[in-house]
Amino acid sequence: MSDFFPQFLQQVINGLSLGAIYALIAIGYTMVYGIIGMINFAHGEIYMIGAYVGLITLTAIGTAAGYPVWLMVSVAVVLAVLVTCAYGWTIERIAYRPLRGGPRLVPLISAIGMSIFLQNYVVIFQNSRDLPVPDLISGMLFTIDFPVFTVGMSNSRALILFVTVALMIALTLYIGRSRMGRACRACSQDMGMASLLGIDINKVIALTFVLGAALAAVGGVLIGLSIGKINPFIGFVVGVKAFTAAVLGGIGSIPGAMLGGALLGMTETFASAYLPTEYKDVVAFSLLVLILLFRPTGLLGRPDVEKV
Amino acid sequence: MKLSRSVLSLAVATALGAGTAHAADLKIAIATAVTGPVAQYGDMQLAGARKAIEDINAKGGVNGMKLVGVEYDDGCEPKQSPTVANKVINDKIHFVIGHLCSGAFKPAAKIYDENDVLMITPASTADEMTAQGYKALFRTIGKDSQQGPAAGDYIAGKLKPKALAIIHDKQTYGQGVAEQVRKTVEAKGIKPVMFEGINKGDTDFSALITKLKQAGVDAVYYGGYHPELIVLLKQAKEQGLAAKWMGPEGVAVSDVKGEPAEGLLVTLPPDFSTDPANAKLVEEFKAKKQDPSGPFVLTSYAAVQVVADAVGATKSTDPLKVADYIHKNKFKTAIGEIGFTDTGDLASARFDIFEWHKDATKTLAK
Repeated sequence: MSDFFPQFLQQVINGLSLGAIYALIAIGYTMVYGIIGMINFAHGEIYMIGAYVGLITLTAIGTAAGYPVWLMVSVAVVLAVLVTCAYGWTIERIAYRPLRGGPRLVPLISAIGMSIFLQNYVVIFQNSRDLPVPDLISGMLFTIDFPVFTVGMSNSRALILFVTVALMIALTLYIGRSRMGRACRACSQDMGMASLLGIDINKVIALTFVLGAALAAVGGVLIGLSIGKINPFIGFVVGVKAFTAAVLGGIGSIPGAMLGGALLGMTETFASAYLPTEYKDVVAFSLLVLILLFRPTGLLGRPDVEKV
Repeated sequence: MKLSRSVLSLAVATALGAGTAHAADLKIAIATAVTGPVAQYGDMQLAGARKAIEDINAKGGVNGMKLVGVEYDDGCEPKQSPTVANKVINDKIHFVIGHLCSGAFKPAAKIYDENDVLMITPASTADEMTAQGYKALFRTIGKDSQQGPAAGDYIAGKLKPKALAIIHDKQTYGQGVAEQVRKTVEAKGIKPVMFEGINKGDTDFSALITKLKQAGVDAVYYGGYHPELIVLLKQAKEQGLAAKWMGPEGVAVSDVKGEPAEGLLVTLPPDFSTDPANAKLVEEFKAKKQDPSGPFVLTSYAAVQVVADAVGATKSTDPLKVADYIHKNKFKTAIGEIGFTDTGDLASARFDIFEWHKDATKTLAK
């Protein structure tokens, strides 16, 4: 049993880094929901498009050209963010704005439609096979040698964890302190009133989508680099998990997304560590049901965020 | 507008193409996957079948008929393959080269059988395919109950691991071959320390890798396709899991490359492209910049040869007559002289063990 601890430690690291991936995507879901009370199902697809733009950029630069890694990754992230921002804005303009004010189910269906459209659009133009992403951020951040077991965390996972926490803090500050953030909060409380008081709600909502898309793009590039392959369907798989994380943490709450992501990542990791791997989703989603039974608005969700 | 115009012209072109196929053509459906995560295997199947059709037509076709390959895509999805099967039947095609994946082939095969369509798959290895008693189903590749034991024998005889783990993707093909491996090694006195399924499409296996490392596993057999294996290998490398990995022919594609893939073992049909009898054919493939050593290229070539030979000999396009002839005769093909058992399996099939390298090449394992 002396080797129980190192293994446990390694699983905690595994769980946290998986949780960070979920959280990074979950922040985007939660922000859009928090402000306009709508679930943007196309968010996963934006993440996928971000990953593709990142890969295309890296291929265009040429990973063998000898530029420093941080520079290549930054350029890829920046370009991915720019392109997906344009997508985020366009999607809001085409698929959601004309339907605002309609019954709540209508924009939901149009979001699902948008998601299917984007997925197939990438399948047609990039085809549906797995594309390998160059292994740029290799190596380990740290390793701890125990007598029988070496615990470690890879650089790419550490980077995701770091970026997620940084973005979460930045976003919380932005929403809490800036003028635009105040406008966002006003819209989230009462859109009609906010507009009467002279807040340009079209601008606020467009900004929400653009910010959400930017977050997803950062996730797309970094997660793509960490996992090492992308295909047009990654958005759906990660999207479902990230959405779950957002609900678990309390949708609408940014720290909640982080907490939900970490909790979901940990649960999956420990379920697959101490039970047969087949059961990990069963355990994770049973937990979700349990938490929602006792806290319907999620762990950090405020009941008053709920809108009709 | 541009898009719709090009789509329209494409549709017209297709219609024209269909118009030129007259009664004296022998249409053969090539049912494979050109989309989806395993499309690379579909490319192999198409390369082999197209080349065979081209070569047979260059020699004058069959009984004065030209072969026409009609290509269908099931994306390796059991949901899509019945649609493909119905299309094939609507298009009045009686011969199918395919499908590629066992999971997708299963529902389609039932439909073909009900409509008396002859099927030869160059790639689907699940045992149950030939165990349904279908009238006209053949394969030019071995089956999992031959592949699994080949892998199991190698593990027990050569690798002799201290702790063996078997992982699979819970799909018809992956779990099937994994269970065969387990049966074989258990018969030889090796009890796997772990036998677990993972989710197809998952991208994080770090918890599982930690568990493998903890159990002191020094050999892992993975039953499934390459997309998950690539991630498994990468994450195993990251955590420094020192184990020998082995997989079935479903992991042998050029995407499996780089440092983590070095030393991976795979069971594959023998590499017929090194057979001197195929030297000329191999040259012609290479001239087209295609790799004939892919596991399904020459099996697919052979499948077309069998159909063409049998149609030629029986002077009939009645699938059941042709099937009867295939059951009773031997054929000279790109994968050697082959015959079929009553169930439609190869009379003798062999799997070799290859070692995979970081540049996605392979050598025979010792």
